[in-house]
Amino acid sequence: MALDEQHAAARRDSATEETEDRAERARGGGLWPFWTASYAAGDPLPDLSCKVSRPEHNFDEGDELPPDYRALLMKMLRHEGERAGNKSFLGLMGTCIEIAETMAPDAGARLIKSEYLAEELKHAIMFHRIAVGLDPDFALRDVPYAHYAFHLPKETWADDALFHFLIDLNGAFHARDWRESSYVPLRKISRTVERDELGHSEMGYYFLSALCAERRGRALVQALLAKWYSAALDMFGRSDSPNTPRFIEWGLKSVGNSEIRSAYKEYVDRKLTALGLDLPDERQGRRFL
Amino acid sequence: MNSILDEIHDAYAAVGITVEGVATYGTYYRLRCARCGAALGCVGDKLLPAMARELVDGEFELYAAGVAGCACGLQKARAREIDPARAAAALARFA
Repeated sequence: MALDEQHAAARRDSATEETEDRAERARGGGLWPFWTASYAAGDPLPDLSCKVSRPEHNFDEGDELPPDYRALLMKMLRHEGERAGNKSFLGLMGTCIEIAETMAPDAGARLIKSEYLAEELKHAIMFHRIAVGLDPDFALRDVPYAHYAFHLPKETWADDALFHFLIDLNGAFHARDWRESSYVPLRKISRTVERDELGHSEMGYYFLSALCAERRGRALVQALLAKWYSAALDMFGRSDSPNTPRFIEWGLKSVGNSEIRSAYKEYVDRKLTALGLDLPDERQGRRFL
Repeated sequence: MNSILDEIHDAYAAVGITVEGVATYGTYYRLRCARCGAALGCVGDKLLPAMARELVDGEFELYAAGVAGCACGLQKARAREIDPARAAAALARFA
């Protein structure tokens, strides 16, 4: 082969390697998105379909909404929080960037966290569209997360991993509940949000698995678990919440707080046990039973 | 400053951690080592009343063992000062 041809071939090989390397890095070292492996093995989340008889409602963007329905829908979206116009959500994402910068064990973990951030910002756009369709003023309203779970201190990489495994999973369960939502725009995005949030939870679980692979790391995770476990169970609200029957009646939720919490706990307990962790007492540290 | 934020400042001050002004918009604050200024994490200001002290106390073993806190050792030293026996037990647990 002539020298020019050899150089050209070498450049082609090098370009191919660079492209492959870039593609692998761009998808979190081949792990991202984490949800693909989970859904490939079947539906990873439990059935949360409505088991009680209720009227059928269907409202789309631009429809006139009954005042009670609108109030409950807005309440739900305020809790959801992932909106481009919600400065407090962007603030939370800012803390995620800082934790990745200062605590991630290596560049690979930082890259995975960058995929997570990108996907949460995608959700921020999706929920922004829903907010604009409902109330343009709401779209730019700052609504700090009211639940304490979003405000717990994160002082170690294990805190961050537990946050993602448990708190993002809460989002996946709620998104699963929206599959039957009477509000069409929410129903349309439910499957994407569910699968993404499940993937974020699996990302946290991946980091937890690495930590638990050695004794000191497992002791750290075990020491922090009670703090996050109780907060995660509290996130489903009080079992006797007076609003729940109204949410279900209007088709904005399909199951009650107690039922969804119970399904969540069963899922989480199975995965924590697989890591060799002892499960905390489910009533310990709880604020909202 | 709201009362929850006061509680957070007080709870962290005891172990040598400074709660820096707002880290990101509104509700999240950066934790820094009170001696060397290293970033040690973050906390939000929507904790429930009395929760901050409980949380910091819950991390005592981690500070004492050097699993959480600054590499400069300030929080580890503070934990030893606060409760030497508990700190020694934590060191053994995480050895």
